[in-house]
Amino acid sequence: MPPTSFLHLDTGAWGRSILRVATSWWFMVHFGAVVLVMALSPSTYNKAHRATTAQYIYTSTWQVLPWFTAMAALLSLVLIRVVVVTALSYGLSQYALQMVVRVLVLELIPLSAAMFVALRAGLAFNAGATDLAPPAGTAPAPLSLKRLRRELVPRVLASAFAVLALAMISSMIALVLVYLTVYGLSPWGLPGYTRTVGQVFDLAVTLGFILKTVFFSLAVAVVPMAASLETPRQPVNLDTVQPGAVRLFLVLLLIEAASLAIKYI
Amino acid sequence: MEPQTPTPPADPDALPPIAQVERKAIALLVLITALVLGFLLYVMVARGVFESTQQLVLVSDDSEGVIVGMDLTFSGFPIGRVRRIELAADGKARIVIDVPRKDARWLKTSSIFTMERGMVGETRLRAFSGILTDPPLPENAERGLLRGDTGAEIPRIVASARAVLENLDNMTRSDSSINTSLTHLQTVTGRLSGPYGVLTGVLGSEDSAKKIIATLDNTNALLRKADQRIFGAKGIMDSTQATVDGSQAAVAQLTQLLTEVRASLQKVDAVLVEAQAVGANARVASADLGALRAEVEMSLRKVSQLVEEVNRKWPFARDTEIKLP
Repeated sequence: MPPTSFLHLDTGAWGRSILRVATSWWFMVHFGAVVLVMALSPSTYNKAHRATTAQYIYTSTWQVLPWFTAMAALLSLVLIRVVVVTALSYGLSQYALQMVVRVLVLELIPLSAAMFVALRAGLAFNAGATDLAPPAGTAPAPLSLKRLRRELVPRVLASAFAVLALAMISSMIALVLVYLTVYGLSPWGLPGYTRTVGQVFDLAVTLGFILKTVFFSLAVAVVPMAASLETPRQPVNLDTVQPGAVRLFLVLLLIEAASLAIKYI
Repeated sequence: MEPQTPTPPADPDALPPIAQVERKAIALLVLITALVLGFLLYVMVARGVFESTQQLVLVSDDSEGVIVGMDLTFSGFPIGRVRRIELAADGKARIVIDVPRKDARWLKTSSIFTMERGMVGETRLRAFSGILTDPPLPENAERGLLRGDTGAEIPRIVASARAVLENLDNMTRSDSSINTSLTHLQTVTGRLSGPYGVLTGVLGSEDSAKKIIATLDNTNALLRKADQRIFGAKGIMDSTQATVDGSQAAVAQLTQLLTEVRASLQKVDAVLVEAQAVGANARVASADLGALRAEVEMSLRKVSQLVEEVNRKWPFARDTEIKLP
């Protein structure tokens, strides 16, 4: 693999490198936009494509939902317990609820759901989707809409839906676990708990939460697939990192940072 | 967990058949949609979107720490929520609070509202209703907000602490009163431990203590002599005893004299009884004298009438008639 550090390049190579990166990002954005438009157009959902989409949703969400939910619930329970007990020991129990809801539901669970789906989709690409990429040494061929609609849109939809579904279900379970950990099975804590949740989820935070989850799902669905389509097929893959993994993590980081900045600054 | 690796081929027709895959996908879609809608509904309920509220405006000169969405509590229960904070034309902060109508009954016209700001933790808005029988707070009421601020107290506490430290510094200086007192105390304790002990400490010097001791010795000698003069042979006590004996004889004579005086007084009593009897007789005689006097007067009047009658009838009677010429 040629050296990728910018320090080893002369001025012309610098320009070519920047151009390549910009082209690559533009390809990703364009691919995402096209897929989004096709996903929103009703003509995509004929019987065959519906079946394919259902198949992908089944494999990306239904199969992993119990495992992911159980794991998320377990980790949430541990975290909730730690935070609540620590806050109680410092006499700050009135802040424990808000803190747990903010940390778990707003930040950790959507991010972990996105990571989980990204890793799983990446594995899937490595295993069988590299045939989507162009042959080595050739420029990415223009995507045919038919192929896009038939093969890629269902995958993108399924990945995006998987992130949304896993994040939402795990968040709801985390909210229930928070209540059960703090108040037990008593129903008398419900008004106070509802009020606390209401204080956390004001309009800006709720919109931010939903938008962040949607952007996470789009990033997880689009970035790896665009990278797979773009990377020239090589006889021996020297790169140990999945195609687009670095870019995906960068995008996720940017979304998370932007969300935090809007919320708390 | 071993990751599931879906490897669907490009041709959808070649996918491995899964029972009711479309139905499961739709179920997932419906579930997630319901979850999202339910969550949004729950958050709206939690934010009090569907509650009928009335407005209350709290006016304060400082709204620091008050944030939109924070609670107004009554007896620890949240009964209102800050909706808006605005700056009024007079430069005061107006905190607009939504109070659900079902909780508004706790707020009375006599209620007071406080803002408490602690060292740690958020600011708290509290309502206190002392007289629950007062009329309820009207809608859009404006009330003042009393502030209790721990942070604002800190400068005052620091100033007090500085004054205390300065006083402490003054007290511990080498020329301070306490040090001087301690030096004096040391001098006194040094004297106390000297040969004349407490006396030196109290009187200030050993000479004075010696004088006191000499005075005590003189006093002792004087007392000894006085004892001898008073209680010794031919002392004052002996002559006093003789005087007492003489006094006893005089008392006996006095007793006798008193007895005689008592007998004389009894005689005087008898004389007085006699005198009372004489007085009574004199009173009776006085009464008879009155009657006698009346009779004498009557006799004199008759004599006078008789003389006048004689004069009239007598030839030597004066001619009282005046004849005109």
